[in-house]
Amino acid sequence: MPLPPRIHKSFTGLLHTTLAFALLISTTLLHAQADKAMYATGEKTFKANCGSCHKPDTKLTGPALKGAKAKWEGKGNIHAWIKNSQAELKTGDPMAVAIWAEYKPTIMTPNAVSDADIDAILYYVDNYVPKVIVKGPEPPLPPGGRPQDGAWQWLVIVTLLLLVVVLSLGGVKHQLRNALREREGQEPLPERSIWGNIKHWAWTHKAWASVAGLLIFVWLFLQAWDWAYHIGVYGGDEVAHYKPEQPIKFNHTLHAGKMAINCQYCHSSAEKSKHAGIPSANVCMNCHKAIDQGPTTGKDEIAKIYAAVGWDPEKKVYTGKENPIKWVKVHVLPDHVAFNHSVHVAVGKIECQKCHGPVDTKMDVAEQWSPLTMGWCIQCHNETEVPQMAAGAAPNGYYQEIHRRLTETPMGNKELQKYLEDEKITVRELGGWECAKCHQ
Amino acid sequence: MSTTKQYWQDLGELTDAPQVPTNEFNTPLPLAEALSNTGLTGATTGRRDFLKFLGFSLSAATLAACETPVIKSIPYVNKPEEITPGVANWYASTYYDGEDFGSVLVKTREGRPIHIKGNTRFGINRNPDTKKGSINARINSSVITLYDNERVQGPVMNEGEKGWSTTTWAAADKAIGANLAKISASGKRIVLLTNTVISPSAKQAIDLFKNKIGGTALAQGSDDGLSVQVGSKVDHVQYDTISYAGITNANQKSFGKRVFPSYDLTKADVLVGIGADFLSTWGSTTENTWQYAVRRRPEDATAEKPMSRHWQFEALMSLTGANADQRAAVKPSQVPAVVMGLHDAIAKKIGGATAGAASIDAHTDEAIAVCAAELMAAKGKSLVVCGFNEEGTQVLVNSINMMLGNYGSTIDLANHTYFKQGDDAAVQQLVKDMNAGAVGAILIVGVNPAYSLPNAAEFAAGLKKVDLSVSFSGYSDETASLCSSILPDHHWLESWNDFMPKPGRYALAQPTITPLFSTRQWPETLLKWSGNDSNWHDYIQGVWQANMAAHAETPGSFIEAWDMSVHNGVFDAYTNAAEPAVFAGNITEAAANAKKSVAGAATGDGSYEVQLYTKESIGSGLHANNPWLQEMPDPLTKCTWDNYVCMAPADLMRITGKKDIKSLSIGQDEPAHVVKVSVNGTELELPVIPAPGQTPGTISVALGYGRGAKGERVGRAACLRNDDGSPAPIGQNAYPWTNVINGAVSYAAMSGKVEGTSKTYPLGLTQTQLTGMDRESIIKETTFAVWAKHEPKESYNEIEMITVHEDVNHDGQIDAQDKVPASEVNLWKDHAVAEVGHHWGMTIDLNSCIGCGACITACNSENNIPVVGKDEVRRSREMHWMRIDRYYSSDMTHAKGRAEGMGKIERYLLMEEPSAQPRVFFMPVMCQHCNHAPCETVCPVAATTHSLEGLNMMAYNRCIGTRYCANNCPYKVRRFNWFNYVTEKFGQVNPAWDELGRMVLNPDVTVRSRGVIEKCSLCVQQIQGGKIAAKKAGTPVMDGAIETACSAGCPTNAITFGDLNDSKSKALALSQDERAYHMLEEIGVKPNVSYLARVRNREEEPEVAETTEEAHH
Repeated sequence: MPLPPRIHKSFTGLLHTTLAFALLISTTLLHAQADKAMYATGEKTFKANCGSCHKPDTKLTGPALKGAKAKWEGKGNIHAWIKNSQAELKTGDPMAVAIWAEYKPTIMTPNAVSDADIDAILYYVDNYVPKVIVKGPEPPLPPGGRPQDGAWQWLVIVTLLLLVVVLSLGGVKHQLRNALREREGQEPLPERSIWGNIKHWAWTHKAWASVAGLLIFVWLFLQAWDWAYHIGVYGGDEVAHYKPEQPIKFNHTLHAGKMAINCQYCHSSAEKSKHAGIPSANVCMNCHKAIDQGPTTGKDEIAKIYAAVGWDPEKKVYTGKENPIKWVKVHVLPDHVAFNHSVHVAVGKIECQKCHGPVDTKMDVAEQWSPLTMGWCIQCHNETEVPQMAAGAAPNGYYQEIHRRLTETPMGNKELQKYLEDEKITVRELGGWECAKCHQ
Repeated sequence: MSTTKQYWQDLGELTDAPQVPTNEFNTPLPLAEALSNTGLTGATTGRRDFLKFLGFSLSAATLAACETPVIKSIPYVNKPEEITPGVANWYASTYYDGEDFGSVLVKTREGRPIHIKGNTRFGINRNPDTKKGSINARINSSVITLYDNERVQGPVMNEGEKGWSTTTWAAADKAIGANLAKISASGKRIVLLTNTVISPSAKQAIDLFKNKIGGTALAQGSDDGLSVQVGSKVDHVQYDTISYAGITNANQKSFGKRVFPSYDLTKADVLVGIGADFLSTWGSTTENTWQYAVRRRPEDATAEKPMSRHWQFEALMSLTGANADQRAAVKPSQVPAVVMGLHDAIAKKIGGATAGAASIDAHTDEAIAVCAAELMAAKGKSLVVCGFNEEGTQVLVNSINMMLGNYGSTIDLANHTYFKQGDDAAVQQLVKDMNAGAVGAILIVGVNPAYSLPNAAEFAAGLKKVDLSVSFSGYSDETASLCSSILPDHHWLESWNDFMPKPGRYALAQPTITPLFSTRQWPETLLKWSGNDSNWHDYIQGVWQANMAAHAETPGSFIEAWDMSVHNGVFDAYTNAAEPAVFAGNITEAAANAKKSVAGAATGDGSYEVQLYTKESIGSGLHANNPWLQEMPDPLTKCTWDNYVCMAPADLMRITGKKDIKSLSIGQDEPAHVVKVSVNGTELELPVIPAPGQTPGTISVALGYGRGAKGERVGRAACLRNDDGSPAPIGQNAYPWTNVINGAVSYAAMSGKVEGTSKTYPLGLTQTQLTGMDRESIIKETTFAVWAKHEPKESYNEIEMITVHEDVNHDGQIDAQDKVPASEVNLWKDHAVAEVGHHWGMTIDLNSCIGCGACITACNSENNIPVVGKDEVRRSREMHWMRIDRYYSSDMTHAKGRAEGMGKIERYLLMEEPSAQPRVFFMPVMCQHCNHAPCETVCPVAATTHSLEGLNMMAYNRCIGTRYCANNCPYKVRRFNWFNYVTEKFGQVNPAWDELGRMVLNPDVTVRSRGVIEKCSLCVQQIQGGKIAAKKAGTPVMDGAIETACSAGCPTNAITFGDLNDSKSKALALSQDERAYHMLEEIGVKPNVSYLARVRNREEEPEVAETTEEAHH
């Protein structure tokens, strides 16, 4: 469309330049975005298909992949090799033959990936930058922590001030009285220490003193009683968390946090059984067959796993000499408690961290985070909504049936109204406070 | 205040009489001597130091106790794929011990078998309609004997005076192999003495062994010393501890087949048992029980399949007799006469040969006549079984069944069982040969002849003359301890095994735990000696491969079929086509033999006929080492841990000179009288229990007791302890009273002398009351005729009414006629349980319940119930959460009493006395989970509370042991832990509390400690588990998905558990049945357990129901 003639030509030139510049910038940006997307696709595909045997920068079961594209450039068909290594080997591809010679008899299994996927993978490994772990924000302080300290301090200060006032007033009163007596020609009252004063007061006011003494005694007794409640061999609210030394310095922060391994990868029975279970050593070997040194303890600690499962890291064979690891149990429930992990994990959809604390961010050594007392259990049961009974929850036949029974009978309806007073159906309301739920 | 007043200790002191020592100690204490001991005074640790040390160590110990105890947790190194810690695995397997057979499911936790129930999908003991496998208490209790540390833990050799020495399997193989070769060469007999072997693979291994050791053409030169060149005969002799040879021999004579037939009780309209306790121990009980129950529910009766009619003729009140519709008490010597009576009555109508029956007595003759008429009316749909182990009688029984056309219908000879192949004649010949020195080697498997043979002493003497005697027993029992070596077999839960109970019906047993000790299965040992080194699993697989190939219909590869068989526990290959039975027995000869067998019957005057029987609990004595079974009360006498003489109360009154049966009662402080019984010159002193139903002039004594009497180690729980800790055998061995008649062991001694003694003996009974005493709100019973009318329901299931202070009948005045049903009166508000969430409930069909007690032991195993031993049972401290109350009927009724002009108290007193021949009523009782529970309101610490789901819950950790709840429970189902049963004291009777025995405990159930109350929880751990499973699966809890141990363990499906809020649940339907009632409904506790009134298939009308005011107050 021709521009209206009143606009100067130079202005149009400026407009064009601006447009061109904007275009240039946006293309560059778009390009950068495309690279980022390719990196992400590559990362995803790599982790899904290759990650168990390869790393971009270090040798694992297979070679480090950084620079593989350049290495293969013009010497062999890397795409065909990745798709089906054994078929490519048969074609006599020189690169394929060379790699086979180095790594046989370990076969790279055929991968169902497209050429575009492979390009993305190779782009990712070439541009791989190790992730820097950024520490997460500090978790909020547990209740009953510091915030209340201020109030206490004020109370103490006020009490002390009042005490000073009382004592000075007492002193003034004493002197005034002495002055009075002096005027009347009497002997001055004897000078007494504070303690003496108290004793004197107590002697003259026996009833008050007894009541005060009793009150002090009761108060001290209650304090002691309260304090005794917090004596716990496994740690309670205000006692240091139980954190025993373990035979292997296993680091949860590293595994669950930095490596972001799902808790249930190792504690796999948590969703199937009452016990979350300590993983058997063969689970460790899924990764540690390849990873024989850690970032902080080097080879020492991982060697203990090898000793347990009887793995010879040099020859990469199992010797058959097994030696079970004697972990120290951290979360100990009394024998009369039947806690079931699976229902909390699979049905209640509760995050492990809710009870076990920030295992992934703060627990280099496993520790008992929650008090695990009955009060603690039932408090949660009292507050927590049954997710399947919430409005708009995914249908679950069991809870649908329970819901039906509540809505379709008069007595059920009455109960339901009671349940819904706080607008949610809590675990307690469906029987989560019943003794036999946990004591069987 | 001081005083100078003088006091004298006695008059002597005052009068200066010779001084009597007034010191506290008559002899002076050696104080001077002690103080002059320089060692003491010179000690560096003085008294004060001692106190300091004491104080220090006390406080140090206190402080140390505050430290965290370190608990180690050791995971698998390589976790087996199928195991998830905390989740039970169930494996199909098969139980067979020579007596009981059952396809079972074994529950294992982390590799430990802890519970057994019937296979719900396969097996001959499974009811296809209810989909429940029927097993008995003996089978479900057998899991505890696995963890018995008195088992022989490896091969041992008897070195004469030096005692027993342990050896290795290799050494034992070599030594015994060489020995066998030598004996074989000498030409002496080599005998393999076993129980009835029904394993196809074991039979093949025996054949291989026979050929190798006994054959002629064998290779020489192998260095294991096994090869021999000359042939001597190797015999396989089968011996059933409880013999059925009379029956199998009779079948040989009658049909040319020496077998024990298959019975089908589901087809029997009329069922006649003559001294055959087929619901308890006789025949294939795991089949009999469920088949019997199928025809006993009145609701299931149709014109084609009426409710079965059950007759029982017997000497002692057996479990089967207690369930009968019509029972006639006869003496053992009269059994052949009863059989002949029935035979002739039928033969006369049909026109067959008669046996020459004689009259018994008017009452019995009449019973026989009626019974015979009923049998005739149900031709082809009836069954007569007889437990009298004598060939002639059994030929006559066969003839009766033949005349009635029962072969091919209720009796299957073509698909007979392979059970009970024992041959008493061969065993007797063996004993003779052994004593004559003609037996070179004897290998003993699964039997204990030195204990259980009539001539056990002769056997033991003969055993000494045998050059090589090997026992494969798992225990150093009466026989094994006399052998030259014991090569212990696996426990069955550690074993691979195959069985063929009937033609074409294969069953497999798979191990559910790695062998605990260095044991080896006996057929594998035979294979080793025959030069075959394959392990037993591979060998069985080989045999099956050959057998399965013969059945072309097997789909897929062999391995697939094998794996499927292991998974299912069975493989049904084929069934034989029916074949017409042709009776070839000689009636005259049989009748003559039968009459001869009962010659010399007791004639009174101190002599009694003696019936020997086997108890539901320990059977032939095989299970004597099982504490759960020893403590399981006998269904009738309710006695634990003993055997005794059962005697008709009238006879016992005569012997003891007591006036009435109440003065004979046995309790904590009333021990039983002891009598001296002498049979065939063997004398035993046994306590007596007055047993209503016992035929006068007869006594009954249980076999299987007195194990380990000479100190043999027959199992941890096979003995109680004397005060000094020495083992005290339980009961006494009555096997010497058996004798061989007509080629078969007879369990009836025709004459025994019974004398009273002045001695007494304490017995541990769990129930001392005999009758229900007219309490119709506890037990409700009617007849089929009344029930079938259905109208009104109250004619047999009376509604309990309560008088209220309100004019409910609107007659203008408030009086005793103002009554409302008890269920409508409420002291409390209704619980929401009836409509909200789940409402767990249970129904117990008293018609299906046969009183066997399988539920009690199933409950023991599921809920870690402690065994307390006889002494504590005697103090009524048994811990069973479930009991079966047994009530005898009484002759006295209110109507009858009033007619005779008796007062009320007099009537009630007489109602306490059972009839001489009573009807028996069984009633399983556990916590009724009352919705208005009296126990809950009295607990001072709220340790027992009510759940929203109708459960009466118990928090052990909260209980402080006041026992108010137990006192306030109207059903008396609460149990108090008087002791910490997890101690060595109780370890003597309960191996479940020792290191090894603890492995049997169910980790899902808390082990209770001293000072707390416990009771049935309706298996709340199963309920919670089932709910969690449903929540995870996202489905409602399916009816039948949750079972309690008792409901799953009931062989007759009498117990049904379910959600009463589920409109489709079976439990709900049954609890609304017309027969349903609540026990003690009038007290208004609203139980969640309902009972279905018992219906007997009897013609006569019941007593007129009491409706007058008087009867209720």
